[in-house]
Amino acid sequence: MPTIRRTKVEFEGRIEEREVIVEEEHVEGWTQDTQMRWVGRPLSRVDGVARVTGKAGYTHDVHLPGMLIGRFLRAKQPHARITGIDSRRAAALPGVHLIWHRFNLPPVAHLDGRELFGEELAYEGAEVAFVVGRDARAVGDALGAIEVEVEPLPFAPNLAAAAAEDGPAVLVGEDNWITPDGDIYARGSVEAGLREADVVVDLTFTTPTAAHCCMETHGSAADWEGDLLTVWHSTQSVFGTRSSLADALHLPMDKVRVISNYIGGGFGSKWGAEAFTLLAALAARELGRPVKAVLDREEEHLVAGYRPGSRQRVRLGATKDGALTLIEQEAEVTTGAYGGGGPVIGGPAKDLYLCPNVRTVVRAARANTDGARAFRAPGYVEGTFALESTLDALAHKLEMDPLDLRMKNYADESPSRGEPYTYKGLQRAYEMGAARFGWPPQADAPAAGPWRRGYGMASQIWGGGGGPPANAIVKLSPDGTAEVLVGVQDIGTGTKTVLAQVAAEELGLSLDAVRCVVGDSLPAPFGPGSGGSVTLASAAPAVRSACREALRQLIALAAIMLELEGADPDAFAVEAGDIVYRADPEKRLPLTQVTAKMGNYMIVSKGARGPNPDDKAINTFGAHFVEVAVNVETGQVRVERVVAAHDIGRVVNPLTATSQVYGGVLMGVGFATTEARVIDPDTGLQLTANLEDYKVPVMVDCPEIEVLFVDVADTAANSVGSKGLGEPPIIPTAAAIGNAIFDAVGVRVTDLPATPDRLLALLAKEKTQ
Amino acid sequence: MTIHRFAHADAASLQEVVAALDETCLPLGGGTDLVAMMKAGLMAPERLVNLKTLPDHHGVRPGDGGWRIGALMTLADLAADPAVAEAPALASLVEAVLDSASPQLRTMATLGGNLLQRPRCWYFRNPEVPCWRKGGRRCFAFRGENKYHTLLGGGPCYAPHPSDPAVALLALGAAVRLSGPAGDRTLALDDFYVTPTRDAQRADGYHPVTVLAPDEVLVEVLIPGSAANARSAYVKLMERGVWDFALVSVAVNLALSDAGQVAAARVALGGVAAVPWRATEAEEALLGGSLTPEAIDRAAEAVVAGTRPLEHNAYKVDQLKAALRQALRRWTAD
Repeated sequence: MPTIRRTKVEFEGRIEEREVIVEEEHVEGWTQDTQMRWVGRPLSRVDGVARVTGKAGYTHDVHLPGMLIGRFLRAKQPHARITGIDSRRAAALPGVHLIWHRFNLPPVAHLDGRELFGEELAYEGAEVAFVVGRDARAVGDALGAIEVEVEPLPFAPNLAAAAAEDGPAVLVGEDNWITPDGDIYARGSVEAGLREADVVVDLTFTTPTAAHCCMETHGSAADWEGDLLTVWHSTQSVFGTRSSLADALHLPMDKVRVISNYIGGGFGSKWGAEAFTLLAALAARELGRPVKAVLDREEEHLVAGYRPGSRQRVRLGATKDGALTLIEQEAEVTTGAYGGGGPVIGGPAKDLYLCPNVRTVVRAARANTDGARAFRAPGYVEGTFALESTLDALAHKLEMDPLDLRMKNYADESPSRGEPYTYKGLQRAYEMGAARFGWPPQADAPAAGPWRRGYGMASQIWGGGGGPPANAIVKLSPDGTAEVLVGVQDIGTGTKTVLAQVAAEELGLSLDAVRCVVGDSLPAPFGPGSGGSVTLASAAPAVRSACREALRQLIALAAIMLELEGADPDAFAVEAGDIVYRADPEKRLPLTQVTAKMGNYMIVSKGARGPNPDDKAINTFGAHFVEVAVNVETGQVRVERVVAAHDIGRVVNPLTATSQVYGGVLMGVGFATTEARVIDPDTGLQLTANLEDYKVPVMVDCPEIEVLFVDVADTAANSVGSKGLGEPPIIPTAAAIGNAIFDAVGVRVTDLPATPDRLLALLAKEKTQ
Repeated sequence: MTIHRFAHADAASLQEVVAALDETCLPLGGGTDLVAMMKAGLMAPERLVNLKTLPDHHGVRPGDGGWRIGALMTLADLAADPAVAEAPALASLVEAVLDSASPQLRTMATLGGNLLQRPRCWYFRNPEVPCWRKGGRRCFAFRGENKYHTLLGGGPCYAPHPSDPAVALLALGAAVRLSGPAGDRTLALDDFYVTPTRDAQRADGYHPVTVLAPDEVLVEVLIPGSAANARSAYVKLMERGVWDFALVSVAVNLALSDAGQVAAARVALGGVAAVPWRATEAEEALLGGSLTPEAIDRAAEAVVAGTRPLEHNAYKVDQLKAALRQALRRWTAD
């Protein structure tokens, strides 16, 4: 039975205590020694063939009879006031069904507290009008025919302009600083930390604004059947989308169904309902026909979010023998015109090392750009780059091996919480990574040509413990096949596959007898959004619990068939597809023989995620070891090899897990070496709103990546022993690359991306000093 | 925004093409540039004539001891053609072609279209920016985000020419054959590319960098036969491994005497000027000497003669030197 408890919940670096409703799981935790048939095996994705053959249906692929196309006309300047819109000529064009804008508002013009079609256009790409038409051609013609009158307003396209004393107001009547005093974490005192330090390192950094670059751009399709709304939405949270749509449209939740079968990447940018989702739903209702609205690649860059660029300062103090006395990290970001308070850049600083005196501050300002969004380990990527680069500089100043310095300050319990970890395998990750990589690196022979070789490493901490609420339903059919319904979604990580593995393991069924249904709010009970690396650790225990309950029912039937009616269900085990009476293993029945007995009866069970342990911190850890080559004549950096060692508890599927690490490392390589969103300070327009100028790495930029897992079940964390991996592998890459560059050429990269122009400038400066 | 409406016709003969072309009717090759420009609303021809249906100009022929390359050849076919791929003298061209764009784009893009690309400058390509090159009043890069912009040739436009093959071909001494209503004419690339000026402007405001008339079509690239000892190289520096326009590029074509003296030298630069740029100072520095480390240093100093960096592109000066050194060092081990 559910009960209400107060518990600590961590999400993307923020810990809060809140009341949650939890149920017990009624399963024994899998231990390190539990013999597994499916869990732990490197299995191909259950939908892998569908994905690579084009059979998988993404939101972009939704084609419904009579479907119309919707699209926004968007602001072409960074800041303006709308004074007039004339859409008469556009509305008269053939194939145009509907146009909504400021002077012809849709029935609902608010979403999650934000006004749509307001008077003020505060960023390039802000919604000006929504056009629905027969096809993209008709809509495109109409968009071009809408006449918009605007009065340009002064704008602040970046942090420098927004933070300037007499800078222009990003939003009329609002302070440019969202958090003027900053989001502060502190323990001990900075003064004490400085006093106790023999050595202080003080560095400033900038990190770029980085775009998610989802392969599938954002989009939704909406269809009404009577008063039931079905929305196909490329989202990381079908239930979050359902809530915000129900709220915006004043619909009962049970009248909204959200489907997200396949998602072409989200990385934090596809959280809930968006303006195009709401407008597609409203237009579909108005016109009585389905409406699809998807962004094109330029819109994806203009309005679908980004990791905010940062300015940071890190000050570290240490005694001569390397004990940290101070970690101080100050960061400033801009989160756009309507962004939030900024990511938890100080997260790693407060938790990665044992240090009595820590202070972190993140200040966030507005700018005339679209809003920042969560992006794969928000805050931690940029925060770790600065922290771990400074730590490397400290190691050099102390003439200590960078890994030794990290071990010297190893935290056995959570420094910010003062509580033990459920499990911390970082030391093991260091050992595995160092052994595979060859750390400490041997000195290279002097280089003959312009290329210099260097080696660096960096560490990582993240959450990913998951938690309640998450539910699962299991339906067991007479032929011995099971459907597992979970309200999560597979955003490309392999969720569908690993949850099926967990279910097959628990039910004692073959993997191909289990079908896991995710990404649909109608059949499935609640599951969390896929963010904060929580999906597996939240949903897998719920799946186990539901499967165990199904087995109990099945065992009750088996007991009758074995003439053991009323026996304790726990007196039976499932072995190799048979239900076996433990006390007398001769008494056994094939599971399918029991299900066959059911006729049209269906075993239906449910399970819920139990609570996390009290007074324990659940974290994931890792370390990256990187080899780079730097050309001292051209400034080019080649990332040649990355050894990534991660502690995420039990690895359910080494193949999909390895794939996560490949993706994270490669994204980290892009963040460190090639990617940056550029906003023109003069016009306030984005110059990189395409994949030609916004440079994600290409295959030849991909280093050799070796992936290692500690793979020790975190039995105290949850009944599966697993934690999340979506975010950890992008976190330490950039710092490890920067540290390797320092090792190669003796210059400290403090501004990312480390492009040739920057490397040459640093090398030239180094030469003159 | 979707593409505007236009008429499209497949061409059957060159005469038909030439008769049809004017400011409102453009030739369509692979479309990798033109269609992108049209999608962005930056070009709006009323008609397109599809050149790909022409029977000729899709291959390589021998000519005058050298090579005649059809302008309709795709970059992928060009790099794979045995007559080109196996000619040591054309090594630079093959490198330049394979350094261009991505495999997908190279299977579509034609050589002629590549030579005639419009600038890839991020201000030029933004329809909301009324830059000089497309008929506006000023170059937004001059005091703006100019890390990818030019060092040589000055303004009024600071957008570099994007083609890699053009740089290699310039160093190879290539010429282009143009067909127009009055017949054919053949121009050396040195004369085909001209820095943009106020005087040369198309009806849509665009300032061209070639002397190709609106009713002319580029049909063939002519590469002269080279001395027996000629060798060529193309070095392109990018921010990522492939699919990136040159930060800088250097093409070198040298004829060496039996004694290892440089008997003839042509050096061309990409990514640093509004047109593929002849580096005559570097050529002079190389001429008559052998490729000693000192000579390479002198050439590297000479190749940056006259460069005037903007606020964010001074690194290109160092890169030019490095790229030339890289090209020349390939032959010093011989």
